Amino acid sequence: MSLFLQLLFTGFGIGAIYAMVSLGFVLLIRAANVVNFAQGEFSMLGAYAMLILFAGLGVPYLLAFVLSVAVMAVFGMVFAGVAYWPLRHRGQLPVIISTIGASILLANAVLAAYGPSPQTLPGMFDNPGFEVGEVFMDSQYLLILAVAALLVLLQYLVFEKTMLGKKLQATSQDKEMASLLGIPVAVMVLITFAYSAAIGGIAGVLVAPILFVSTGLGSLISLKAFAANIIGGFGSIPGAILGGLALGIAETLGAAYISVPYKDAFGFAMLLIFLLLRPQGLFGERIAEKA
Amino acid sequence: MKLLEINALTARYNAGDVLKGLDIEVSEGEIVALLGSNGAGKSTLLRCISGLVANVSGSIKFAGQELLGRKPESIVRMGVAHVPEGRRIFPGLTVRENIALGASNRRGVDRRGFAREVDEMFAFFPELKRLEHALGWKLSGGQLQMVAVARGLMAKPKLLLLDEPSLGLAPLIVQQVFRIVADIRARGVTVLLVEQNANMALSVADRGYVLETGSLLVSGPPSNLWNNAQVREAYLGGLAAAV
Repeated sequence: MSLFLQLLFTGFGIGAIYAMVSLGFVLLIRAANVVNFAQGEFSMLGAYAMLILFAGLGVPYLLAFVLSVAVMAVFGMVFAGVAYWPLRHRGQLPVIISTIGASILLANAVLAAYGPSPQTLPGMFDNPGFEVGEVFMDSQYLLILAVAALLVLLQYLVFEKTMLGKKLQATSQDKEMASLLGIPVAVMVLITFAYSAAIGGIAGVLVAPILFVSTGLGSLISLKAFAANIIGGFGSIPGAILGGLALGIAETLGAAYISVPYKDAFGFAMLLIFLLLRPQGLFGERIAEKA
Repeated sequence: MKLLEINALTARYNAGDVLKGLDIEVSEGEIVALLGSNGAGKSTLLRCISGLVANVSGSIKFAGQELLGRKPESIVRMGVAHVPEGRRIFPGLTVRENIALGASNRRGVDRRGFAREVDEMFAFFPELKRLEHALGWKLSGGQLQMVAVARGLMAKPKLLLLDEPSLGLAPLIVQQVFRIVADIRARGVTVLLVEQNANMALSVADRGYVLETGSLLVSGPPSNLWNNAQVREAYLGGLAAAV
């Protein structure tokens, strides 16, 4: 029982990472109709930015964290300008291809600059954690869960309680109508890209101490976030969160009880099961079916 | 005073010219009806005014300022609100939120100011009040139309472009919508109205233009249009005889 609880804790932690990246992914689908295959690259770049600032330049950990996220927000806007904006009237497929291209370019640019050997990044706290009953609460995992919960709350407040949130939603539901009302659609799309990249960066910095920082980090996280999205229901915000958590837990339990080398396979097996039996995911969204 | 002056307006989509050198004028305080069959270019004309059509030549002057080349966001800020075909209510937002977003073109209004203005709209459209928190996709056609008009009025426009407000509505609701159009003018808003329902449109309009495949067929006050044999046959049809 204690092993199960321990695994559940770990699964939740890693699932929260998938959920965060998946959240950024969903926002771009909803606000800009962009299926961004470079979403995981935002996490990879965030982790490298942290590495440069903290390990390279000696910036204090928390400040380096904040700066990395800020760098990613700016990067998100540049990414929007280069990979999305010129193609925005061409439909979805050219943009998808463009984000796949950007993902390959980014991973290889970092590879050229830093080489293939994975780097390590320490966690935020010196204290490794503490025990509650028989479950060891790793401090980094606790941090991940806290940040994820905070982000979900913040996003809810912004989207549901502010005029900006309503304008972002309006833009995602009908861009042309939004522009007819005087909502600056381009600004809304830029904000979404910035936020999406920032949230990806946060996930990258948080997961870096658990996984190694390598150029392969991006594609791994991209695939997991994509899977989380399909499990949760394509384009659904609650679906992204639940799908991410479910994926993290399934992987962790599968690895512990069945086979460690097949850890990633459990997540993708779950994806296949969903695609076969419930392709609309946990939350089939009504707004996604708008005419 | 001329509020809207359109000269030699030509618009083309991929297939060819949709508008062929149109000249149209709307004076302040008027209700002007644009009539014509499907594909005559009525909606395209409104879309040109709002800045939604890229391939346009000629001139569209609003209160003396050229609109061609401006973005939709900038045009609505100048005081031209467009209630488009199909109402285009945001399906995932509530009635109150949809209406409030209509004021996105104006700066310097705080949250409380918006809330008060939305309440004024509920006073103007009392039956929307009980739907205040209903999501857009749950509304009926008539309700959607009222939300769309309320959202358009929230822009505090000088000129309101109304595209087919009666489309798909039951006759009683259609009458209600046209009463609203008359009320809107009473509030000092100039209205350019696109309609298939020529009878209704001419009953509230001061002047009308009849378009045929992108060109002007005839224009003038409603009585002229009623008495024009060509128009009666083509657009007013059997309905005209019944009135």
